[in-house]
Amino acid sequence: MKILAATGNWNLFIGRIHPLIVHLPIGILIIAFVLALLSRSSKRAGLRAALPLLLLAAALSAVASCVAGYLLSLDGGYDEQLLNTHLWLGIGVAVSSTLLWLLTVAPAAKRLARLELPLFALLLVLVSAAGHYGGSLTHGDDYLLQAMPPALQSFAGKKTVADNEAAYTNVGDARVYEDLVAPVLSTRCYGCHNARKLKGGLRLETLALIREGGEHGPVLKDSMPEESELFKRLVLPDNDEHRMPPKGKPQLSPREVELLYWWIAQGAPTGKTVKELKPNPRIQLVLEAMTPGKALDHNEFVPEATPSAPDKKSIEALEAKGVKVLPVAANSPFVAVSCVNAPDFSDADMKLLHPLRSQLVWLDLSGTRITDAALADIGQLSALTRLELKQTAVKGSAATPLTGCSELLYLNLSGTACTPAFLTALTKNKKLQQLYLYQANPDAHTLKQLRQQLPKLTIDTGGYRLEPLASDTIIYKRKTV
Amino acid sequence: MSRLHDKLLREASEETLRFITRRHFLLDCVTGLGAAALGSFLTSCGSSAAAGPDFSADPMAPRAPHFPGRAKSVIYLHMAGAPSQLELFDYKPDLQKLHNQLCPQSLLEGKKFAFIRGVPKMLGPQAVFAQHGESRAWVSDHMPHFATMADEVSFLKAVQTDQFNHGPAQLLMQTGSARLGRPSIGSWVTYGLGTENSNLPGFVVLTSGGKTPDAGKSVWGSGFLPSVYQGVQCRTKGDPVLFLTDPEGMDRNLRKQSIDAINDINRQEYETFGDPETMARISQYELAYKMQISVPDVMDINKEPAYIHEMYGTQPGKESFANNCLLARKLVEKGVRFVQLYDWGWDSHGTDENLAIDYGFRNKCREIDRPITALLKDLKQRGLLDETLVVWGGEFGRTPMQENRDGKDTPYLGRDHHVEAFTMWMAGAGIKKGFTWGETDEIGYAAVKGKVAINDIHATILQQLGFDHEKLTYQFQGRPFRLTDVGGHVITPILA
Repeated sequence: MKILAATGNWNLFIGRIHPLIVHLPIGILIIAFVLALLSRSSKRAGLRAALPLLLLAAALSAVASCVAGYLLSLDGGYDEQLLNTHLWLGIGVAVSSTLLWLLTVAPAAKRLARLELPLFALLLVLVSAAGHYGGSLTHGDDYLLQAMPPALQSFAGKKTVADNEAAYTNVGDARVYEDLVAPVLSTRCYGCHNARKLKGGLRLETLALIREGGEHGPVLKDSMPEESELFKRLVLPDNDEHRMPPKGKPQLSPREVELLYWWIAQGAPTGKTVKELKPNPRIQLVLEAMTPGKALDHNEFVPEATPSAPDKKSIEALEAKGVKVLPVAANSPFVAVSCVNAPDFSDADMKLLHPLRSQLVWLDLSGTRITDAALADIGQLSALTRLELKQTAVKGSAATPLTGCSELLYLNLSGTACTPAFLTALTKNKKLQQLYLYQANPDAHTLKQLRQQLPKLTIDTGGYRLEPLASDTIIYKRKTV
Repeated sequence: MSRLHDKLLREASEETLRFITRRHFLLDCVTGLGAAALGSFLTSCGSSAAAGPDFSADPMAPRAPHFPGRAKSVIYLHMAGAPSQLELFDYKPDLQKLHNQLCPQSLLEGKKFAFIRGVPKMLGPQAVFAQHGESRAWVSDHMPHFATMADEVSFLKAVQTDQFNHGPAQLLMQTGSARLGRPSIGSWVTYGLGTENSNLPGFVVLTSGGKTPDAGKSVWGSGFLPSVYQGVQCRTKGDPVLFLTDPEGMDRNLRKQSIDAINDINRQEYETFGDPETMARISQYELAYKMQISVPDVMDINKEPAYIHEMYGTQPGKESFANNCLLARKLVEKGVRFVQLYDWGWDSHGTDENLAIDYGFRNKCREIDRPITALLKDLKQRGLLDETLVVWGGEFGRTPMQENRDGKDTPYLGRDHHVEAFTMWMAGAGIKKGFTWGETDEIGYAAVKGKVAINDIHATILQQLGFDHEKLTYQFQGRPFRLTDVGGHVITPILA
């Protein structure tokens, strides 16, 4: 199957020069218009001499553009109506610029001199209109509108799209075609495969249209992604001319490609949810990663909520103590606090953290002089997800639980003498996922209890050893005889 | 103190005055006006994407990334010379069947090799492979300890490069360009994030194997970034950082006074000329002063307990990869952003015993097997692996063919440089555990699936640190530069 009719096709070759030469008459006409205006002042009347030559060049290049444009249109794949408008506007430009040229050179046309400026104005309108429709043909209708800043968009009368709130919260409930596949096709493929721009005679807006296929036949073979053009072309090398989306256009992400593969392999169904299709663990991972909020910039250690920005003065007070306070990301209200350069940080300083209670998510107090008295203060830090208390004098007790830190996911108590009662009280931190107790001598009973109560919790007590192996000492040498 | 201080200040201002003549004054007037006008133009149409830090403040101050990163630090283990993936992770039983047969022409046509000439023989895998862990990842018997960590790492089996000589390939791997002059990964990272611990450098380099990498110190250079971001090489023998101790007869107080005085002069210099390099110099002086205390402390592994030494296989006072692994853990624990290890000696051509797949290579494997495993386990037990990205790899791979240098058999078993497919792995900090991405063909010659380019590796490292690799840029020579140049895709399949 060949996409180009034949190699060395003159028509198409000349046709594809159209986007290049089409800019010549535009530029030349604008210059000519400016010169014509300027030459009206007696001081610059000399500029008129340039007009005939410029207009001749404009007329010739406009005619050439029309010819090349016509040849390009033979390739097909354009919206008929849009194409016709563009075609006639283009011819209009060629004809009127020729007329205008005649007006400037023919001695008989002296009487018609007053027609010159109106004709110029008409010409500029024609050029602009032809250019606009030409742009719509190549880039699609809403090419400019899409890129418009929101403020301008509402001015231009575009409805602001309701935010992309997903119709599902759990990916298992998402409908595979409607909620997952169609949005991918919509952002990556519709641009060239829609009712107005039918590249390859193919439309992808609905499943029925996808099944209809294009001018080269069907693009979808149920349950056979490797045989389906809809998948095959996504994974061709970048520089292959059949690759889709073509080189230079925004590409599908690897996850989106995997999704399409899986959907076709399942027989390209509609109306089925992910759960109903029983995804294997691999595709489950892919789908979960694609769910909103699982984007590349997502970090499970940062809450979804958006508190107010942290108080500058309280940050300065901490920094004066040598404590590092830093937003977890540019423009994020959440902060991380590290005492790596403040080993003298003590219980008395803990109150400095209070004003940051709804913003402080990562707190590192390792190696500081804090004691159990600090636990009550820590308990007030309700947004905390990561807490490091390594190598501190904290022991804790049943009476000083961290229940206030309901979002806590990570707790490091390595090198502390934490009590069993304190550890048992952690069962109230339902979200806790990681607990580090290296050199903290936890007793087996407490650990068992914790594991039973919090099945999702990983506890690392460390103390790893590497068994000595024979290979540790074998030195490979050529045997000398 | 103040006497010395005043004297130096006075001398400096006199020195400056001596150079200001009437011509300078007139010139300043003219260029000053022009600059003022230009300045107002530039700010009015300046880009809002000025990602860089404000150099008038401390260039090493900690900064927030674009989005919350999963990694706080990176430990990059670079095996300089390029280890053979075919003896470590990329198990190819079919290659064994072709062992000693002549290489088919189809594999040689249109290809260039560093040393192979004519038609070489195929070389079967020189190791015994087995699957390990729940992930059933293939690891050879050269790395028996590491095999137990198979469920902690993500293997990248189809990494590709386009440089088949060590120097350019190492530069490409570490700076994103095969030619000199670009900043290294660690420099970009410290440029983006600053340093968390203000008493230690943000980017530390440790070397072992007796030689620095072929590409020289440029692999940890800062290129066009201010030089404050270049890697600080620490030695495990003698002084950790050269020229850091005070000369005899100079006490710490006097040192402090002289540094303060020099910095004051430099600050005036910066106010006059605004060269960021001046600020770099100031913060380097300050850091060096703090490092006089902090570096010997963090670089001293003698205080580590015996079982830690036993686990890593460290011997204090020696230059070894094991020592460097232990140091890497200590540095990361203290908030160093980027620790770069280079271990030299992996260039197994088979030209002599040390560079032989069947001898020297196995010894190198032994030297890294225990330390790397210990490093991963040690990071894990301290809760650090969750926020430390560990990257392992060479600068390219090795051929499935036996090297025949200049058409002649080499005295030992060896493989030539290979660019089309090799294995790397990453672990920790939001990377999938027990996962393999990418595949090579039946003989490990070419990448088939899940191909990964060098700038994809860079994009992924930056991604885990919280950077959009397309937005971490530095304006140089009239355009913004980035680590991934014009390429790079985050390797999303290996992200947890």
